[in-house]
Amino acid sequence: MEHTYQYSWIIPFIPLPVPILLGVGLLLFPTATKNLRRIWTFLSIFLLSIVMLFSLYLFIQQIFISCIHQNVWSWTINNEFSFEFGYFIDPLTSIMSILITTVGILVLIYSDNYMSHDQGYLRFFAYMGFFNTSMLGLVTSSNLIQVYFFWELVGMCSYLLIGFWFTRPIAANACQKAFVTNRVGDFGLLLGILGLYWITGSFEFQDLFEIFNNLILNNRVNLLFLTLCAFLLFVGPIAKSAQFPLHVWLPDAMEGPTPISALIHAATMVAAGIFLVARLLPLFIVIPSIMYIISLIGIITVLLGATLALAQKDIKRGLAYSTMSQLGYMMLALGMGSYQSALFHLITHAYSKALLFLGSGSIIHSMEAIVGYSPDKSQNMILMGGLTKHVPITKTSFLVGTLSLCGIPPLACFWSKDEILNDSLLFSPIFAIIAFSTAGLTAFYMFRIYLLTFEGHLNTYFINYSGKKSSSFYSISLWGKEEEKKLNRNFGLVPLLTMNNTKRASFFGNKTYKISNNVRNKTFITVENFGLNTRTFYYPHESDNTILFPMLVLLLFTLFIGAIGIPFNQEVIDFDILSKLLTPSINLLHKNSQNFVDWYEFFKNATFSVSIALFGIFLAYCLYKPFYSSLLNLTLLNSFQKWSSKRIRWEKLINFLYNWSYNRGYIDAFFKTSLTESIRRLAKQTNSFDKRIIDGITNGVGITSFFVGEVTKYIGGSRISSYLFFYLSYVLIFLMILFFFYFEKF
Amino acid sequence: MNDFPWLTMIVVFPISAGSLMLFLPHRGNKVNKWYTICICILELLLTTYAFCYNFKIDDPLIQLSEDYKWINFFDFYWRLGIDGLSIGTILLTGFITTLATLAAFPVTRDSRLFHFLMLAMYSGQIGLFSSRDLLLFFIMWELELIPVYLLLSMWGGKKRLYSATKFILYTAGSSLFLLIGVLGISLYGSNEPTLNLELLANQSYPITLEILFYIGFLIAFAVKSPIIPLHTWLPDTHGEAHYSTCMLLAGILLKMGAYGLVRINMELLPHAHSMFSPLLMVVGTIQIIYAASTSPGQRNLKKRIAYSSVSHMGFIIIGISSITDPGLNGAILQIISHGFIGAALFFLAGTSYDRIRLVYLDEMGGMAISIPKIFTMFTILSMASLALPGMSGFVAELIVFFGIITSQKYFLISKILIIFVMAIGMILTPIYLLSMSRQMFYGYKLINVKNFSFFDSGPRELFLSISILLPIIGIGIYPDFVLSLAIDKVESILSNYFYG
Repeated sequence: MEHTYQYSWIIPFIPLPVPILLGVGLLLFPTATKNLRRIWTFLSIFLLSIVMLFSLYLFIQQIFISCIHQNVWSWTINNEFSFEFGYFIDPLTSIMSILITTVGILVLIYSDNYMSHDQGYLRFFAYMGFFNTSMLGLVTSSNLIQVYFFWELVGMCSYLLIGFWFTRPIAANACQKAFVTNRVGDFGLLLGILGLYWITGSFEFQDLFEIFNNLILNNRVNLLFLTLCAFLLFVGPIAKSAQFPLHVWLPDAMEGPTPISALIHAATMVAAGIFLVARLLPLFIVIPSIMYIISLIGIITVLLGATLALAQKDIKRGLAYSTMSQLGYMMLALGMGSYQSALFHLITHAYSKALLFLGSGSIIHSMEAIVGYSPDKSQNMILMGGLTKHVPITKTSFLVGTLSLCGIPPLACFWSKDEILNDSLLFSPIFAIIAFSTAGLTAFYMFRIYLLTFEGHLNTYFINYSGKKSSSFYSISLWGKEEEKKLNRNFGLVPLLTMNNTKRASFFGNKTYKISNNVRNKTFITVENFGLNTRTFYYPHESDNTILFPMLVLLLFTLFIGAIGIPFNQEVIDFDILSKLLTPSINLLHKNSQNFVDWYEFFKNATFSVSIALFGIFLAYCLYKPFYSSLLNLTLLNSFQKWSSKRIRWEKLINFLYNWSYNRGYIDAFFKTSLTESIRRLAKQTNSFDKRIIDGITNGVGITSFFVGEVTKYIGGSRISSYLFFYLSYVLIFLMILFFFYFEKF
Repeated sequence: MNDFPWLTMIVVFPISAGSLMLFLPHRGNKVNKWYTICICILELLLTTYAFCYNFKIDDPLIQLSEDYKWINFFDFYWRLGIDGLSIGTILLTGFITTLATLAAFPVTRDSRLFHFLMLAMYSGQIGLFSSRDLLLFFIMWELELIPVYLLLSMWGGKKRLYSATKFILYTAGSSLFLLIGVLGISLYGSNEPTLNLELLANQSYPITLEILFYIGFLIAFAVKSPIIPLHTWLPDTHGEAHYSTCMLLAGILLKMGAYGLVRINMELLPHAHSMFSPLLMVVGTIQIIYAASTSPGQRNLKKRIAYSSVSHMGFIIIGISSITDPGLNGAILQIISHGFIGAALFFLAGTSYDRIRLVYLDEMGGMAISIPKIFTMFTILSMASLALPGMSGFVAELIVFFGIITSQKYFLISKILIIFVMAIGMILTPIYLLSMSRQMFYGYKLINVKNFSFFDSGPRELFLSISILLPIIGIGIYPDFVLSLAIDKVESILSNYFYG
């Protein structure tokens, strides 16, 4: 099937027409473009499905004949330097492209409804299309320059999408923070690429690995420099995948619309770092120290992310820290050299986390109608609670996602996480302890989120009733005052998606009222004024089918995607799609032929990890069990507290943990004071240097010449007497000098 | 057809047509505007036509050359000709000047003079880029200054007289050095002055003399480029000038310095250049960092962009001083690319200033709601300016980086250091560009401005920014458009260094 591969360069270009046409259309013919809004969505979904089918086809091909296809075209024609563009199809690429397209399609479908009221609906789809293009370009790229090219482009898309609601000052800061932090990573990446080019003289992956290995074998290169280059290369993934020192942008990135958080900041773009490390693993693996650094950073991130997720109020931030922690697991696996489990976890985590984010988006969507459009309120878990009654389907899928992330057996993340945990046992006991305990933490914070959101009673009204009167609703609608929100949905293309029209209509009618209320900037009149029956309106509603459908599909993925990595015992030979795909790649830990899976070993480890997870869940239940029912557990809690005899110290510890987590580990504050302030100070100093010294010299020269001119003017004021005076005085001076010399000679 | 004096016509046409406007009776601003636009477009078409049919890319020698004796007694010729180095800049000049004239549509005060000055500048710039005679080069260099001075001092902002004086003192002072250099070079060695650049390129000098010449030319071009400590005229000038003038300044005028560095310092004085290049490299690196860290401290919007151009000129200096094929190619590409990007950024800053009437960044905010198109274009162009892949700036900077790596001249450690520091500039660039766009457009409310509803950019402004954007993206995706123009010329320049 050679000819199929020949056309695979087209993969990144298929989704490209939509953003280009949308961009041109929005700039030149805004009204016409906006009238066609639904068509653009369908077009982008359609194009992305074509890519999905194509990459599915490639994937099946790869299963049967696992081989690498590469083709390059020259980009610049020059004798001295030649950059090439091309594609590179191998199992990794095909897996990644399937992942991107499936999650991408589902998120597109989802965001059609999620963003339908937004003024930037089309802009959103343009950005999304561009993101899909550049992400697909990233995974199919054949050399490092191309990787860098698309690497920056996805960073830019992320910047644009985080700052999508640019009227929010927080979003404006967040997107700049994300871009600059990622730029630090790009800085390292570029330097690493250049350094590697200097060593090997090539950008192509294949050549690079070959030359590199030869150099190492023959020991013809300075190992320190090599390690430095490899480390700089690794800085790129650190920033992109939100690893320890450069993770600060990810939680802030949650200011973007929720579908974006699902697609970019959970499933695909943050996985790009993992992808790049996986792609370059043949290169990293020959330098043991860099592998150690990778795993170290991985484990730090695992722990940090998990501890920071413990006390987040914002549901999306909590999920973001959890993403960070899971990415740390992947990085850890890569650092340990277990390529396969890292990729497996990448896939399972992508689907589970996308599900969780879409679920949280659905929750936010239904909460927004009640508490207002401020992310401080609509995403605040403290105001939620008891949503099980109101949003049952969302609840189910969220629960499945949570369980999967906790590592409960039949679900996706269990299989992959278990593999990583097992490998960490083989790698180093300390890392294994941290990794296992973090699995418990994961279960704890995930269930904390779940319980706060869905169990108990809706807390919004508790807070309202408790006399605080904190119903200062976010009184400014997102896009400014003068324009009322466009609520008349474009029913030009109606019949396609109007299943529950009546319900929606009533729901929206209700919403209109609220929004216009907000827009007019009245203080929100308390609930009582509406009469009793209106209060029922103010309970969250289940989202539309368009939102639920992608979540259900992702639910299926979460349930069954684990299958690709589960070793099936078919007679004697192991059959496991993932390992079949990735066998040619490296496996550090399982050097001795591991043709059979030791089921006993597997069960032992699995029980251990599952029990840790269950312990975490249990703890979460104890602590965050809804208010009213906690009486039942009182005895248990009491015994628990009695058991912790040094209660004060315990509380201190808890307080410390809470503060640590709530203040994001003080890392943001540290960066803020150390970096941002110092850059500001530097700017001020150089500016004053520029003004005072460099410009000062120029101005000084100007002013002096001005004064000299003035003095000359004054002197040469065409007065004969002054001329005579100067003439005579100079003659006198001359005579005196002459006289002195004359005098001294004799 | 080949004997037709294309270049003379291209050089003389704008200024003569412009002076015609001064003598014709005054028929209102509109007539002047359209007349100037037509001349600009005609000139651009003429240039393109002449280059299309008479310029062969694969020939590194001078083409379309013309040679007329002008002043007999000291051997002064009207000598024009273009090669791969100058064709790009001439086309850039035509393009940017046409767009700048279009951008100057709102200017109503004394529009006859204004447009005449624009056209005079047009002639001067093309004359400079196409002159093959050293004295002619100098004359064109000086001819350029007067229109800029007048444009600045008559149509500028509040502090225009200060800036204009500063500008003229800096540049006129520096062209003194240029004159000294020109006379020195031409009078050396023979009784008859030689001013022909081709002859001069093969001449060699005693090393001390060469260094002296080099320093003289360097000072002249360093002011124009600008190279730090001599850059302070630039932010003031840019901060005060009308934005159409800014487009010309940032798009073309700064490039004259870089062009002169290649054309005279590299081509005529190769030994001194290879001696001075490490110093220039260090200066260029410092300049990138220095300007990029000065820029966030600026309150004035245009000054901030001006410092960003200073920072980007550092790449050109580094590329020129790396003395490698990629480095020089990258420098030429950066000349073209920054010509587009700088001009576009100034244009957008000017149009948004026209609406909000505030100069200081910390007073602005929340403009994105009312002017989304300008916001979009501004975002795209600041991305281009911070070297986003797919745009021209990225390719240029990448090739310059490449030039340093492949350079044989420097030691490993120094190369690593220089690349490292340059790359730090890569981190600083988004800080000032993005925070600028954040301060201008993001956010919600504006307290100081009462009437908070602006018109979004109309068709003219949209056309203008899109037509600058297209070549930026085009070069970014397929850089051979520009690289192929200069490639042979670059090789022939560099061959002096390897065999000489």
